[in-house]
Amino acid sequence: MLRRSFMTTALAALPTAFVTRRAQAAAATELKVFISKQERPSVMRQAFDEYSARNPAAKVTIEAGPTTSEAQAQYLNTVLSARDSSLDFFLLDVIRPAQFAAAHWAVPLNSAVGDVAALMKQYLPAYAAADQVNGELVALPGFADAMFLYYRKDLLEKYQLTPPKTWTDLTEQAKKVTAGEKDPSLQGLSFQGAPIEGAVCTFLLPYWSAGHDLITNGKLTFNVPAAGQALALWRGFITNGVSPRTIAQATTEDTRQDFQAGKVLFAVCWSYAWALFQGKNSAVVGKVGVAKLPAVTGGTSVSCIGGWQWGVSAFSHHKPQAIALVRFLSSLPISKLLAIKASLLPVFPQIYTDPDVLKVNPWFAAAGPVLASARSRPVTPRYNAVSEIIRTDFNAVMAGTMTGKAAARNMEVRLRRVLG
Amino acid sequence: MRRRLADPSDRVLGVLLLSPAFLLLGGIVVYPVIRLIGLSLTDLDLSSGLPGRFVGIVNYVGLWSDPTFRQTLLTTAILTVVTVPGGMLAGLGLALLANLAYRRKWPVRLALLMPWAMPLAFTGLIFAWFFNGEYGVVNDILRRIGLPQRIWFNSIFWSFFAISLTIIWKSSSFVALVLLAGLQAIPKELYEAAAIDGAGRWRQFRAVTLPLLRPAIAVALIFRTITALQTFDIPFTMTKGGPGSATETLAMYVYQSTVDDLALGRGAAIAIVLALISLVMSVVYMRQIRAAA
Repeated sequence: MLRRSFMTTALAALPTAFVTRRAQAAAATELKVFISKQERPSVMRQAFDEYSARNPAAKVTIEAGPTTSEAQAQYLNTVLSARDSSLDFFLLDVIRPAQFAAAHWAVPLNSAVGDVAALMKQYLPAYAAADQVNGELVALPGFADAMFLYYRKDLLEKYQLTPPKTWTDLTEQAKKVTAGEKDPSLQGLSFQGAPIEGAVCTFLLPYWSAGHDLITNGKLTFNVPAAGQALALWRGFITNGVSPRTIAQATTEDTRQDFQAGKVLFAVCWSYAWALFQGKNSAVVGKVGVAKLPAVTGGTSVSCIGGWQWGVSAFSHHKPQAIALVRFLSSLPISKLLAIKASLLPVFPQIYTDPDVLKVNPWFAAAGPVLASARSRPVTPRYNAVSEIIRTDFNAVMAGTMTGKAAARNMEVRLRRVLG
Repeated sequence: MRRRLADPSDRVLGVLLLSPAFLLLGGIVVYPVIRLIGLSLTDLDLSSGLPGRFVGIVNYVGLWSDPTFRQTLLTTAILTVVTVPGGMLAGLGLALLANLAYRRKWPVRLALLMPWAMPLAFTGLIFAWFFNGEYGVVNDILRRIGLPQRIWFNSIFWSFFAISLTIIWKSSSFVALVLLAGLQAIPKELYEAAAIDGAGRWRQFRAVTLPLLRPAIAVALIFRTITALQTFDIPFTMTKGGPGSATETLAMYVYQSTVDDLALGRGAAIAIVLALISLVMSVVYMRQIRAAA
């Protein structure tokens, strides 16, 4: 009952301007959306139904796709390269808008939103960069994600430590705690070293923290020494025993499972892990803290932004209706709804301090500053090729088959081939 | 005309009966191949948003200086050179074993069929678990017998080793089936005659079995070589090409170029090169067989 009243008040606050006259005039339009099974289709259904309740002319059917971002991209690549009109709108991983803009697969939303700069200023800062490509607004933020430093609150308290501010601090703390615990299965730090998308973020964290960029204004600005140092930092965790040698095979799920089983002191992981750490099959319920990611010495703390964006298919036969719906879904009340009902991170900074949200998800208070410091991965239509280069060379260093310096040089040569 | 259709000569009837098969093959083989060749001569890249332009052999020339292409070519060559003879030897051994006089033949045949019937991707996933550095059964056995354990997929050599072993296990079954059929076609009298002439088992194997098995070996070799050149599933599921991209094969590079990078022109060119290599290998083998016959 309480939930119901929240929803009605929240939704009543929506400007009715989202509903275009054409949408009202049309007979019931069926809009088909592509989302992942992981993205809580049942909660999304509520959001769609709220929209239909306000706009009886629009009905939404869900096509639930595979759970990994790569598999979803493959599906969308196939459907959209065939210019299939069956999908009207979709949820895109934050790394995709540039590719979708270049391929003309997503309808530019500029004219639909009016003042783009003013609108994007309302969201977390990283999304303005991620969703706009050469002045074109490709998609609108749906919900956020970022990498966090998870830590064992109980163990840090036991050794009277506070969450580390730098990677050097983290190394010292990890050595101290693992030496004191004398548990051979306790890892100091777990991160993603397997050649997966998450490894791109892992690599970029210290590289960004040292103040460097990969691409600036569409041009490659790859700093080879800094990349070598970033790679050496991660490799150092393996050689000094803070991370296990198997980290070169660790995927996001491995990090999550190991931490959840109580085998990890510090973990670099995405937001979805939090709910699982507090869940039924967790050995660490109530023992988990979340902090900003450590910085390199002399650098700043940064995180890698993830998250999902609503875009409208260029091949849809119902573009105006789909655009209106996407505007609705990327609005503040829906972001709040998703935060409360599905614990999805909000795309609006003020929701992180909203009492209704904090009542359900107290840890959002700690997540807010991390999201504010999060940066977006390079915005380029050739992102998949860029990602492949970074994650394979990163993985080679973690496995110990390449030195950090050699891998950094190799990355540069390969990135030049792709980005010119 | 009507009379010819009503009472077709053998020739016309032949054409009529074959035409559905030709149409089908044309649709699923000839047309895609021609389209692929055409595509490989364009710069079509879906991530550019531009329509593909005809660029001639630019994609092929580009492969020459592409380090990933060279590396994946080398990886493919290594896997072929190791797993084709390896699979042949293991398969021959299995076939000889299965050809022995068992009272019940079906358990042996079933055991022989198992690896062949297993989907490639499953095989890769299963062996990836066997060789897992933390939970794998291989390390567990090594630990129990007091040998040092290793993190297999952290090393280029041991990654190749694990992948090759998996491919040999998987492919030996197919080889064995082909060779078993060949073995059973060899008349028993030949062995009896050889035995009367005083030939021992080894001599019988060399003088009777091997020469008569040659056609079957050639068939198995052709199929194995072509599938080895196209190796995809097992390294894809076991190492994803890692560590780094050391175990990425040519077929995986085709997949990466087209499905991940959306560079359809370049991907088509690599696919054509891969097909050409397979074609050349088949022709070489066919000539060998004909020369031997």
